[in-house]
Amino acid sequence: MKVKGGYFKKLLFVDLDKREVRVVPLSDAFCLQYIGGRGIGIKLMWDNLNDYAGPFDHHNLVVIAPGPLTGLYLPSSSKTSFISISPATGIYGDSSIGGSFGVELRQAGYDALAIKGRAEKLSYLWIDDDEVTIVANEHMQGKGCLETEGIIKHELKDDHVSIASIGVAGENLVRFACITADWGRNAGRTGIGAVLGSKNIKAIAVRGSHDLPVFDLPRLKELSDTAFAKLRGHKYFSFWQQQGLMSVIDYANEAGVMPTHNFRDGQFDRAEKINGYEMLAKYKIGDTACFACPMACGNICLVKEGKYSGTVIEGPEYETACMFGSNVGVDNFSCILKANALCDDLGIDTISTGNLIGVLIEAQEMGLISEEDVGGMRLKWGDEETIIQLVHDIAYRNGIGDVLADGSLELIKRMPQLSPIISQVKGLEQSAYDGRAAITMALGFATSDIGAHHARAWPLAKELEMGKEWGLEEKVELVIYHQTVRPLFDMLGVCRLPWIELGFDENTYAEFYSAVTGVAFSLDELLEKSNDLYNLTRAINIKLGVSKKDDYPPERCFSTPLSSGPHAGKVLNRDEYESLLALYYHKRGWDENGQPDMKRISEMFNDTL
Amino acid sequence: MGVSRKLTVIPERCSGCKLCEVVCSINRFGANNPKKSCIRVMVIYPHPVIRMPIICKQCKEPKCRENCPTDAIVIKEGYCEIDEAKCVSCQQCVMSCPFGAIFLHSDLNTPFKCNLCEGDPQCVKSCPKNALLFIPEHTLGQAHRMASVLKYTKMKEVEYVEKGERKILRYADIEGGKEE
Repeated sequence: MKVKGGYFKKLLFVDLDKREVRVVPLSDAFCLQYIGGRGIGIKLMWDNLNDYAGPFDHHNLVVIAPGPLTGLYLPSSSKTSFISISPATGIYGDSSIGGSFGVELRQAGYDALAIKGRAEKLSYLWIDDDEVTIVANEHMQGKGCLETEGIIKHELKDDHVSIASIGVAGENLVRFACITADWGRNAGRTGIGAVLGSKNIKAIAVRGSHDLPVFDLPRLKELSDTAFAKLRGHKYFSFWQQQGLMSVIDYANEAGVMPTHNFRDGQFDRAEKINGYEMLAKYKIGDTACFACPMACGNICLVKEGKYSGTVIEGPEYETACMFGSNVGVDNFSCILKANALCDDLGIDTISTGNLIGVLIEAQEMGLISEEDVGGMRLKWGDEETIIQLVHDIAYRNGIGDVLADGSLELIKRMPQLSPIISQVKGLEQSAYDGRAAITMALGFATSDIGAHHARAWPLAKELEMGKEWGLEEKVELVIYHQTVRPLFDMLGVCRLPWIELGFDENTYAEFYSAVTGVAFSLDELLEKSNDLYNLTRAINIKLGVSKKDDYPPERCFSTPLSSGPHAGKVLNRDEYESLLALYYHKRGWDENGQPDMKRISEMFNDTL
Repeated sequence: MGVSRKLTVIPERCSGCKLCEVVCSINRFGANNPKKSCIRVMVIYPHPVIRMPIICKQCKEPKCRENCPTDAIVIKEGYCEIDEAKCVSCQQCVMSCPFGAIFLHSDLNTPFKCNLCEGDPQCVKSCPKNALLFIPEHTLGQAHRMASVLKYTKMKEVEYVEKGERKILRYADIEGGKEE
């Protein structure tokens, strides 16, 4: 099949060891098999496994890949994936951002960028269409993400350049350091910021001028005009523009699945002080949207009075408000904003940071660690000052912050007594949904290829809707469907929120893909490719040491019942989970130990670039 | 000739999504390329926080026209346009526009600017935040005039419930007015 649009068929490969930049042509077959975004990243990780010798080794690869739909006239076509072997988990990792970084990278004429090796000095990569340079910038050492972005824009004398950068945390190899682009869009999870830090890459600046290749632009225009009209006509459209993801606070709290006091509970008694209405009443000063997104879920907030006065931030969204709110017992919205702003500027993931701070507070409360263990700090729920201090300490690796900066796996090694109270899977700290209220959510977290993150599967709402009389088979199928369709969005380079939140039909994306590439794939065909690639991430993870023991939700899900809310008293049943997992393996075609057919996978993905 | 309309911007509403740019480039050049659009969203952050689309104001005494050495800028019904046959691409117009609303792109031989899609601007329709308006000339400034009135009369608000719905009624506070 011939690809007639959607791709430049070019991969930009930067070898920092040799200071060499080359453009690798991508074949039509390659584009169609791996689709783009995360798909290309997975393949490159697989091919690089022979060279791989640890996340911070110079042979580790970082792939930055938008998709064939990124930057086009269709709803929320802004997504770019960052892929690497994660320093947080030691296995396959990825994280995606919106904004316009990926659009610019595509306009520069590339489908993906791969970075290998290590620069001698702290540098940034400057991609100006065909001209690619590695620019030494040691004077930016220790600078925050926002400042770095400002300095580079100033140096390049162009405000329209798109920049992705790492902060102090990335430089200090904090294992959950993120990458910040376009003033506040974060590829937060799995610590790829630290991998860039290990490569001495402070930032990537891109400017592109090319037309994006589209096979049938009038057809795309027609499809998209209808799509935009549909979204704008949705009854929750304006509500979304107002609150964005902050509306999830009320949903999650009422459903009793909002992590509170280190995931001990699923309901926060002061939720109304950290919800979307509180934000609208006192803090929100503007909307912000990613490229081509009508939903504008980004909130710009300003703290107008009090000790955090002057804090301005793109955010928070639900995860951050929960992890720095209920999960650590904070009911002051301005403190959440301050913590969010700090995390963005220092370049650390708000989810992992809020999760680990919660662990520490509970550990001290339970007497699992003493004040001496944490440098004389007295930790209390809702103690704003120490929480803010810990954010600093993690990014700068001071005191106990140095231990937390290595993530939960290292924390368990250093303080094994904390193991039962840490909510993590495969070393990735759990994001802000409880796993006890809905067993499918627990299965989703436990079998996600990057660890406990909701990006791969969010079956929670569906399960709660369906109630009790719901067979194991249907539950497993729902999780697998989520794990197949959701990554497809990251492969196409579009945001999944129009689908999740405004009920946008996923079949439309197959129509978009066909109009753009001239290759008539149905949604099922695309899903099949996504599923193949899920097996490939599993194969990567198996080679990196993952086995059945890593496919379990956090211990807390089995041992500590929720104490309030509609699911009070609920814990997961171990036997039920075991049968669910066994069925999951079976349905995926993996053996009883969760191992896919490695020989078949090797054959299937043995094509060379 | 119908009512003379102006393309105008309410920057406070703009979310920076750049849909206007994409739609403009498709409509104008048949290309999905925001760098070929006649409208540009400027983003400043974090101090101050501003998102603002830059558009041609279709000035009635256009500086671009005044400075064009080849008279390539022609006035049409409600907008001006660059006559590509006359244009020598000296970029005088680009430099003389006080708003920076005339653009260049390496693929294109002449500068380009907004022509209001010849009277039916597509960017306005595409804006999901209603930050772009195409309104009769004489209504421009009406929002400010109304705000001035409301400010002067020291409007008070009273909340009430009608058919179970919370509503707000505004009235001029006579007592408050007397104090001045």
